[in-house]
Amino acid sequence: MTRQTGATVAALILVGAAAVAEQQDPLLQVTGRIDGGSVSLDRTALEALPVTTLETTTVVTDGTHRFTGFLMRDLLDRLGAGGDHVSALALNDYAVDIPMADFYDYDVVVAYSMDGKALHRADKGPLWIVYPRDDHAVLQDIRYDYRWVWQLYQLDVR
Amino acid sequence: MTRLGDPVYRLLVPLAAVVVFAVLLTFSLIRMFEIENAMRVEAEQNMLWVLHQSEVSARRLSETAALADLGAAGADELSLRFDILVSRVAMLTDGPQLRFMQRIGYAEDLEWLTGTLDALAPMVAGFRAGDGMRLHGAVEPIARLFGRAANAAMIAEWDDLGGRLETYREQLRQIIAFLIGIMAAGGILAVTLAVALRQSRQRNLMLRRARDFSGMLISSSGEGILAVDGAGRCTLWNDAMAQLVGKPAEQAVGHALSEVAGFFDTATVRQSVQRGLAGEATHLTLQPLFRPGHDAPRHVDLRFFPMLNEDEIVGVILFVHDASDRYAARQKDMQDRDRLEELVTERTRDLDEALQRERSAADLYRNFAAMVSHQFRTPLAVADSALQRLIRRGPRADPDEVADRAVRARNAIAGLTRLVASTLDTVRLDAGQLGARRVRCDIGEIVHAVCARQRDAAPEREIRIEAAQAIGGTAALCDPAHAEQILENLLSNAVKYAPADTPVYVALDGDTTHVWCDVRNSGPPVAEADREKIFERNYRGANSAGIAGTGIGLFMARTLARMQGGDVALHPGADGVTFRLTLPLWGAGRP
Repeated sequence: MTRQTGATVAALILVGAAAVAEQQDPLLQVTGRIDGGSVSLDRTALEALPVTTLETTTVVTDGTHRFTGFLMRDLLDRLGAGGDHVSALALNDYAVDIPMADFYDYDVVVAYSMDGKALHRADKGPLWIVYPRDDHAVLQDIRYDYRWVWQLYQLDVR
Repeated sequence: MTRLGDPVYRLLVPLAAVVVFAVLLTFSLIRMFEIENAMRVEAEQNMLWVLHQSEVSARRLSETAALADLGAAGADELSLRFDILVSRVAMLTDGPQLRFMQRIGYAEDLEWLTGTLDALAPMVAGFRAGDGMRLHGAVEPIARLFGRAANAAMIAEWDDLGGRLETYREQLRQIIAFLIGIMAAGGILAVTLAVALRQSRQRNLMLRRARDFSGMLISSSGEGILAVDGAGRCTLWNDAMAQLVGKPAEQAVGHALSEVAGFFDTATVRQSVQRGLAGEATHLTLQPLFRPGHDAPRHVDLRFFPMLNEDEIVGVILFVHDASDRYAARQKDMQDRDRLEELVTERTRDLDEALQRERSAADLYRNFAAMVSHQFRTPLAVADSALQRLIRRGPRADPDEVADRAVRARNAIAGLTRLVASTLDTVRLDAGQLGARRVRCDIGEIVHAVCARQRDAAPEREIRIEAAQAIGGTAALCDPAHAEQILENLLSNAVKYAPADTPVYVALDGDTTHVWCDVRNSGPPVAEADREKIFERNYRGANSAGIAGTGIGLFMARTLARMQGGDVALHPGADGVTFRLTLPLWGAGRP
């Protein structure tokens, strides 16, 4: 009960922040089974979430990169999300269903910058779902690789 | 040779199977690791999808540009589509994607593409009506480029996939072959194991049978069998042992042997056990074994043998054989032998004596003539001389003279008769048939009678009688005939060897136990060497040369005297020659 109340308050704060920054472009839309049914979040709102850093390799780049962003479960907790999985959508219409358990089993990060530089829409931005691939051998698998959604702009909790 | 080779051969096959098994397993594992690794690395590229997405984004930009000219799409939409296409190109020029494009020969095309997009960027940023178709025309080749690249990527990936599958198949075929080898090796091992188990079971069975048989032998053995371990504790005690010692197995097995019976605590047995533990076999015979409640011991033979396990001595086994019967038989044998020895000694003595008598008899017969001449001639001469005088006198002889001569002749004949009897006695003595007929007799009378006869036979010789005691008071215990014969012998000897015109002295004396009679002449003394020999049968002294004699007189005299408890001895001294006849005194020694 307490947790849910906290989440509700956080969601209200987020929604409030989104309302204040009406003029800014929304970066992420969250819909489905969350408190309030739907919310649009801009950069300010996302950067207000606890910042997390993750160093890992990826399958589409060489070498190790340092990603900065927030934990997906922090966001979902704040919004009071209650479904089994999340449908992630990219700007190029790439869509994939991610089990909710992934975010609680692993520290899955929604990154907004790589190696200290903000991700851009003409590259893999503005948001990139990054798994801690190097920390868990089980994640080094193509069935996890397709869940690395870049150019993310919408989450639908189901 | 076959028996020697068999175990090695039997060991070689499973060993080889194990080696083959291990090698094949190792190779299989290596192959599988290789496959696993290859699958992990190779499965992460999907360039066909990447290029398809790229083509789609190019076509969407191209379409949006065309629609923008018609006013059906805004600047924002156009910018988004352009940015997405740029992001696809950026991705293709990054890391693994770039290397793939280079491999399929599209590196130069990518450079051109990047340049083209850079050139188009200002047009998108400052889009004006009428630019749409130009943009559409510029993006159209990009889409076709991606289409061709996708085609090439598909072929390259399928080639890769085919090659990879070929490799996997080859590796799997190897693994299958290895597995077949492993199965074969496993089969051989299983068969070997089964055979070994079967043999082991058979050997166990045989061992068990051998053990049962040994146990049966031990328990049914008539010999006592026991075993002790290194600490001297009894580990085996059969029924025969229990009977011998009188203790059942329950009181023996597990106890120290010295506690079971005192017999085993004796030094001999203890030492033998120690020697057995040192590896030496020992054999003891006829040891006495006392049992409680029995006075007489059994006698047992013991055989100790060390018990070996491999090369280590683990104890001693002892066989106890009841040899009481043999002991008894041996004892009886020994007694029989002793008795036999005694018998033989006795018989030998008898035979010796008989032989001696035979010899004496032979000697007697041989010397009979000499004896006759020696002993018999004197009385015959006396009788003959008396009768000759009577014949010579004829009618001139007065009756007194006739009577005197006749009595003298008769006395001589009587003496001869006695001599014959005595000679026969001697023969009987030699034959061991003569016993002394001892009675009371007056030795003085006998002396006078003998002296009188001697004077008759040799009137020229003077004979003096010196009696210390009154005649008639010297009663001796003897055979009168023997005493007379002895004295006659001594007297005739004294007369014979005395120098002419010297008298012969006869002295009579005695003490409380004996009576003695000394016959002495003044002849030359008997040589020292001859003093005892003259009493031997048929010995004649050095001074007897030229004098008739048989050499039997003194022997007879001494033999007869000793038969009656007396003796004849040569008196020591240089004053003439004195022979002494000693006889026991009548009444002496009687209660």
